[in-house]
Amino acid sequence: MASRRMTHDVAIVGMGCTPFRDHWDRSADDLLVEAVRECVAGVPGLSLDDVDAFWVGTQGSGMSGQTLSRPLRLRGKPVTRVENYCATGSEAFRNAAFAVASGAYDVVMATGVEKLKDSSFSGLTAVWPPADGTDVDWTAPASFSLLAPAYQQAYGLEDADLRSTLTAIAVKNHAHGALNERAQFRSPVTAEAVERAPRIAGPLGVMDCSGVSDGSAAAILVRAEDAYRYTDTPIFLRGMGFVSGSGEGLAADEYDFTTFPEVVQAAGVAYEQAGVTDPATQISLAEVHDCFTPTELVLMEDLGFSERGQGWRDVLDGRYGLGGGLPVNTDGGLKSFGHPIGATGLRMMFEAWTQLRGEAGDRQVPDASLALVQNLGGQPGSCVAFVAVLGRDRDPEYAESASAGATTGTSTGDEGEAA
Amino acid sequence: MPDQVPDQVPSRTSIGLAAYAAYVPLHVLDDNRLDPDAPRPRGARAVAAYDEDPVTMAVEVARRLGRAPAEDGLLTLATTSSPYDAKTAATIVHEALALEPSVTSLDLRGHRSGLSGLDLALRTGGLATAADLRMTRPGAPDELAQGDAAAAFLGGDARAAELVARATRTEEMLERWRLPGERVDRVWDERFTADLLVRAATDVVGQVLAEAGIERPDVVVVSSSNARAAATLRKRLGGDGADAAVEAQTGFTGAAHPGLLLASALDVAEPGTLVLLVSATDGADALLLRVGEGVRAARGGPSVAEQLARRVPVSYARYLRWRGLLDVQGPARPAAPAPAAPPIHRRRDWKYRLEGMRCDACSAVTTPPGPVCARCGSVEGGKHVSLRDLPARIVSVAQDRLTTMPEREVAMVVADVEGGGRLTAYATDVDPATLAVGDRMRPTFRRLWTTDAVHNYFWKLRPWEDHTDGE
Repeated sequence: MASRRMTHDVAIVGMGCTPFRDHWDRSADDLLVEAVRECVAGVPGLSLDDVDAFWVGTQGSGMSGQTLSRPLRLRGKPVTRVENYCATGSEAFRNAAFAVASGAYDVVMATGVEKLKDSSFSGLTAVWPPADGTDVDWTAPASFSLLAPAYQQAYGLEDADLRSTLTAIAVKNHAHGALNERAQFRSPVTAEAVERAPRIAGPLGVMDCSGVSDGSAAAILVRAEDAYRYTDTPIFLRGMGFVSGSGEGLAADEYDFTTFPEVVQAAGVAYEQAGVTDPATQISLAEVHDCFTPTELVLMEDLGFSERGQGWRDVLDGRYGLGGGLPVNTDGGLKSFGHPIGATGLRMMFEAWTQLRGEAGDRQVPDASLALVQNLGGQPGSCVAFVAVLGRDRDPEYAESASAGATTGTSTGDEGEAA
Repeated sequence: MPDQVPDQVPSRTSIGLAAYAAYVPLHVLDDNRLDPDAPRPRGARAVAAYDEDPVTMAVEVARRLGRAPAEDGLLTLATTSSPYDAKTAATIVHEALALEPSVTSLDLRGHRSGLSGLDLALRTGGLATAADLRMTRPGAPDELAQGDAAAAFLGGDARAAELVARATRTEEMLERWRLPGERVDRVWDERFTADLLVRAATDVVGQVLAEAGIERPDVVVVSSSNARAAATLRKRLGGDGADAAVEAQTGFTGAAHPGLLLASALDVAEPGTLVLLVSATDGADALLLRVGEGVRAARGGPSVAEQLARRVPVSYARYLRWRGLLDVQGPARPAAPAPAAPPIHRRRDWKYRLEGMRCDACSAVTTPPGPVCARCGSVEGGKHVSLRDLPARIVSVAQDRLTTMPEREVAMVVADVEGGGRLTAYATDVDPATLAVGDRMRPTFRRLWTTDAVHNYFWKLRPWEDHTDGE
């Protein structure tokens, strides 16, 4: 099994992202058009006609590529709709990246959208195929809350330790979101407010959950060697891993709910491709899938930012806040920026894009050079996981091989074995 | 035709009860005051949880027998509260018990069916289950005098009890009845029907005592849908009051009642004792049984007394919510989906029998069973293994406070089965907040929800209980 670096490396040369909101007056179509317009407008001289192919990710706000081609009235363009749970937006990005890296297209666009607020339900709903009725009817918070007692048991945390940790994550991400105009929730919250919120699943209250919102994001991708034709400040895809879990965690014994093995595997691939050997020190900032506060806690360990069993201490020490050693979810994360499912992966990319270009204003991470994006979907024990490393600078190995005149078919990197 | 001579089977040593079990649900209701200033009522009723019905209780009680009827045998489910009209409910019990397809499964309906099923099991060597869930309107005078329970008997050898004599008398009367679609019984003036029932019961009792050549039995067990008739008969037949004492704690449990009271008597009866069981409802039936030498070993599961002793109270409001008598605002969340018939049938080994697949290559157990091992990926298949009677330890637990079930919160657990296999299931019969990693649970068959007129049955996990009174 091989998960090689692509023959060509890939850059992002333009991005757009709508504010994530209760967009009562906007449809999925409207949001897609807005994100795409911002994305295209940011690349001088580029028009939508110049984009060769499109991907649109949505979990449930549309069917088929026409989710995008109809609102944009695209003529004669290929559009692929993808769905991969809450990692749908990343999946659109991943396939778009492969398309330019293969040489099939020169300019592609990845988009994601979700219109959640047209439903009268507060949480996420999905339509599943007819089944035998033996599955637990999980709410998302309930399925992710399984992490909490398992983590406590594994590392001997008192209830109060766990609560403080989860609260600190929520408070941090809201503080970050408060610095972000595009975030759904733009007010800091107090620990008291987090802990006073109605409990909805295990130890989790409403304020341990990500925001349910509407939104859309888009990115234009080209081969890295072409990037500077479009912008002076592209960002570069340095590594990317994706794992669709076997579901073993729910289908067989052993898995203990203190980790996402799929994330560990995907991160291993991305790190190897990117040449990251010590993520805790090499990564400048990370956008991770904080769908619920315990998810972010576990991810700090799965991504190698904290030692196993030490993540909660690092959280409490402020390591993951702006100004900390490794700022996480600087844009507010799912928690505060909101979580329109199909858009989320690309929203994370948008923050990496903003930070690596030094455009993050009050929440700018100084000298940000490597950003991690981690997006997952499903539930602990049975999930899909995406991890990407994005760089301010192009991978020197690719740059060298390009300057040596290699254009196609050149082996440009290590063969990274997926763990 | 009151003068018709009842059918009688001559006493034969080969006819008897080989095994028996009773099921009393965990919860008890002893206070049905809507107004806390009202005087405290007398009595208590057994309360099936919101996820129990006659099918699930029949499965639970029959599992306790640990034995199945012969391949060409009979399974009956007697109830007055079947979850389905038209559809045979006993087939669900049959599937969950993993009985041979050649076993006939049959529903018996009506108040009288509990004893009739027992009688059939005696005569055919079949498996008789009786289970009932009794409803009244809130505040009905007999609200605490009706209850929920189940009993099961396997006919065949006379290990538990031998049939000495039987008599039956059918008598049409308008006593307790209910129209299709209605939830609670209508009751005629019980003084009128008590007279008829006492007369019918006196008649059949006279017959069995005469046939057996005895003046009075050692133990009297009386079950009647009419409390006045039951009291009169117990007094007249010289009972010791043990049957009434159980009834005072459970209420009249419908079709399950004769079996429940008989089981309670067998729990303490000495071998050789003659037990007279009388059921007075829509006529009368009497069985005279001689307690067998193997009666203690013939009991499956805990005794009735132990089950009564370990119950926990349920508040009246919670009871009303469970029964749908109090319409409580639920979460803004769609109803859980109805299962579809083809997937139910394809996966019946999993859904009804709780079987996993043990991999031939690596021995790991995969749930639900599928063609590929979840541990090693082998596609060579494996053997189906039953997980339903094994303990499972909690790996993690989640309490859902947005549940669509008629509860404030329910717990879901992931638990590892001793010997291999993982179950992800709802927890039941437990305070969700008390569950912890490492707790020992056991599977129990329950009704998860009902959507689009389909009852969705599957296994939940409940705390493992050890018997304290022998076996």
